[in-house]
Amino acid sequence: MGPTPMPGIADLRNWDYKLLKRYKPFYAPYCEMCCFCTFGKCDLTGGKKGACGLGMAAQQARFVTIACLMGCSAHTAHGRHLLRKVLKIVGDREINMGTGINIEAPLTRLITGIKPEKLSDFIPVLEYLEEQIAQLLDSTHTGQEGSNLDYESKAYHAGMLDSLGKEVADLVQIVAFDLPKGDPDAPLVEIGMGCVDESKAVILVIGHNVVPSVAVMDYMSDHGLDEQIEVAGICCTAIDTTRYSQKAKIVGSIGRQLRFVRSGVADVIMVDEQCIRADILEQAKRIHAPLIATNDKALYGLVDRTNDSADDIVTILASGKEPGVVILDPVKAGEVAVRVVQITHEKRKELVNILTDEEFKEYVTMCQNCDANCIVACPQGLPIGEANKAAAKGDTTPLASLFDPCVGCGRCEQVCKKHIPIVDVILKASLPYVKSEKGMIRVGRGPVLDTEIRKGGAPLVLGTIPGIIALVGCGNYPNGTKDVYRIAKEFAERKYIVVLTGCSAMDAALYRDKDGKTLYEKYPGDFAGGCVLNIGSCVSNAHIHGAAIKVAAIYARRNIRGNYAEIADYILNRVGACGVSWGAMSQKAASIASGVNRIGIPVVIGPHGWKYRRAYLGRKYVDEDWMVYDARDGSKVRIEPAPEHMLVAADTYQEAIPLIARLCFRPTDTSMGRQVKLTHYMDLSMKYLGVYPDDWHIFVRGEADLPLARKEEYLRILKEEHGWDVDLEAKNILSGPVRKMDVGFDATNLEELIKKNE
Amino acid sequence: MEIPFDIGNISGPENARIARPEALGRAIKNAKRPLLVVGSEILDDCLIEKAIAIGKKGIPIAATAHSMKGFVDRGYTENVYLTGLHELANNIESGDWMGFDKTGGYDIVAVLGGIYYSTSQFLIALKNFATDPIVRCISIDRYYHPAARMSSGNISRKHTDEFKKMLDRVIENI
Repeated sequence: MGPTPMPGIADLRNWDYKLLKRYKPFYAPYCEMCCFCTFGKCDLTGGKKGACGLGMAAQQARFVTIACLMGCSAHTAHGRHLLRKVLKIVGDREINMGTGINIEAPLTRLITGIKPEKLSDFIPVLEYLEEQIAQLLDSTHTGQEGSNLDYESKAYHAGMLDSLGKEVADLVQIVAFDLPKGDPDAPLVEIGMGCVDESKAVILVIGHNVVPSVAVMDYMSDHGLDEQIEVAGICCTAIDTTRYSQKAKIVGSIGRQLRFVRSGVADVIMVDEQCIRADILEQAKRIHAPLIATNDKALYGLVDRTNDSADDIVTILASGKEPGVVILDPVKAGEVAVRVVQITHEKRKELVNILTDEEFKEYVTMCQNCDANCIVACPQGLPIGEANKAAAKGDTTPLASLFDPCVGCGRCEQVCKKHIPIVDVILKASLPYVKSEKGMIRVGRGPVLDTEIRKGGAPLVLGTIPGIIALVGCGNYPNGTKDVYRIAKEFAERKYIVVLTGCSAMDAALYRDKDGKTLYEKYPGDFAGGCVLNIGSCVSNAHIHGAAIKVAAIYARRNIRGNYAEIADYILNRVGACGVSWGAMSQKAASIASGVNRIGIPVVIGPHGWKYRRAYLGRKYVDEDWMVYDARDGSKVRIEPAPEHMLVAADTYQEAIPLIARLCFRPTDTSMGRQVKLTHYMDLSMKYLGVYPDDWHIFVRGEADLPLARKEEYLRILKEEHGWDVDLEAKNILSGPVRKMDVGFDATNLEELIKKNE
Repeated sequence: MEIPFDIGNISGPENARIARPEALGRAIKNAKRPLLVVGSEILDDCLIEKAIAIGKKGIPIAATAHSMKGFVDRGYTENVYLTGLHELANNIESGDWMGFDKTGGYDIVAVLGGIYYSTSQFLIALKNFATDPIVRCISIDRYYHPAARMSSGNISRKHTDEFKKMLDRVIENI
């Protein structure tokens, strides 16, 4: 057992401070005031402190801590809810992840020291999580923490807890429902707004907690209704339902929610928890589809009919006496949904929810292109008025082109002086595209196998597999879903390991290459260079941490139990990985990123990510920030900035791609590995930005690091533009690099890992 | 009173003063160490030509997002520097950063052609934390940016010609 099983708030503070010294918190306040207590509102601008004594930096860090706690609570409570329900439904079960997996729960072992053998072994893990969340939330109360750095340490702690909560949640559902256990050949299923068969009765499931959806699939299967009813999902419930049954279909990610509901295809809407529109009841009423709420965290003011008979509830919903009900028993909810949908489908057949041609024309003609309201209400600033104007003249292309960059929030409609249903107007204009939106996605495969790590661990650490690119998170993209596809494709083609979860996994599946293949059809599903993997839903993110931890455990034979700081230090210095949350929106995304950062993996976010208020940025020119120990003798070594940042935003995918490649450098790369990484970094910069990056030379430790194909050119640039002492004839670098390549270099940030003189 | 381009983007008690293009141009001209920060939107509507015109007046340009490609394609890279917006803000806030030409920091930062919301956050970061020495920010964009010290007003895309004329007046006064 390592030194920190079940760490409390302060137990990993030393590690956090090491990260925070190098990757200093950078704040961009989204709000310059504080309104948390009745002393306020307090104006924190110009160096002023609030009435409680808290300054701007600490307030921003406090806010981020609270956001991370929201996210971490969502995943942990999800795990708690799942465990409670499955213990009741399927009973306690042995955790057997199959022959390819011995390290069944890497985060649980790392953080708590517990090696779970059966589902109920997660109970003390959840108790630990819940206590820590309560302690952390307490620290955000007025009159508690006063240091921004300590709030950052607490945000890291919340992020780490988030990763653990996710692992519990996903392992519980994998074991309880026999979801894929790291299957490289996980089956393909359909995805997209166009993949739902509207001629059938359609149950739409939305959210993240799969238990009620499993009950739907079971009830349908038990009653021979698989072919009569479509189950279509939005968000992670969709991913997880297809992990359980490939008869389900995925409509898409969060951004499609309002548009798909408005399309009226769903005959029943069933929601569980997280990422559901708060006005889902109003939207369901609008299309005359009954709503079933199945989780006590989202009840929408509906009557709780959990204890009523299924027959009674079916009657109430089918008659329309109530627009929806709460059913907190997932099995009953599944039965009711299936029985009701068969009735409502028949009743709703005559309903037309998409605008008619006449209505569409009337609305676009009504628009005065005033630009006064919709464009400033739109989070993307989309030119709605101009598009309406073109549509009024008969050209619907500009309006249809708004469909994908639109995040589907509906803020535009609320401010339109003419009361134009703008979401419906865009939907109507883009109907041909919507109908043809049919992709393919591999169902979430779950964990990376230990056997895959045995094969891939060495090339990852040596750098010859240039990195793991993990595309995770929400759908608040700056310019539509295709950016995620582009990023994944670029890195898969370059033989990086590309893993995806959640909205990103779904959105990347919507596009096909010239041969008609989606990424999941084109690239292999095993964890190796050049793969594209759907790991699963948001909670499956834990397996990406898990893969990095397993590299330390299996390849480097490090003890992982209760040994967080050492393993994070190992990952930071050796595992070239970069998270990408291109459409980060939620508080969960904030806690996910903080958890990934604490374990030593940098994250690139899209431009909306600036609104999280805080980044972690390095300054490559400050020597003291880049000093590490050589564990062999304790000497201090100035390393290149690898990785340079922990959390950084890019504005466009063209900017993000070279940045992601840059963040895969690690100080322990071999020369061969560094060559590969440098090749991609420079190629990608030239491809997307038109120039070589201005900092490539600082990653060169000697001539052996230079890509062979352009060695002479690069040596000349080093000599002529950077003033290095280079023997061009002998192709040798005589002086210039910040350090020389040392094959035995054992980089660490932790004093306790320095080997004492023996 | 002008509204922010993203209407909910009201961060605090002090918001940018709307300024005429002549005043914005003069602010750049009178600065000791001005910097123009451009983003990907300069690649639309030929705004890059306006950025180049400002560059030719001797104002260094920080090319964020993938705007650098536009300068390369037009053969103008003399005083154009590739950077990320986050990295740039982080450097500007650091009192010991010596600028792109390694001779010193900047006292006026003007923004043009960046994504509205990330630019807004860039400005608010500098407003609150680029204080020693103080760095003043102005917007010469088509958006009203409340987090700047001085800003142009919102100019709709349907009035792009007007926006370009506004930029010409800024440039004339540099």
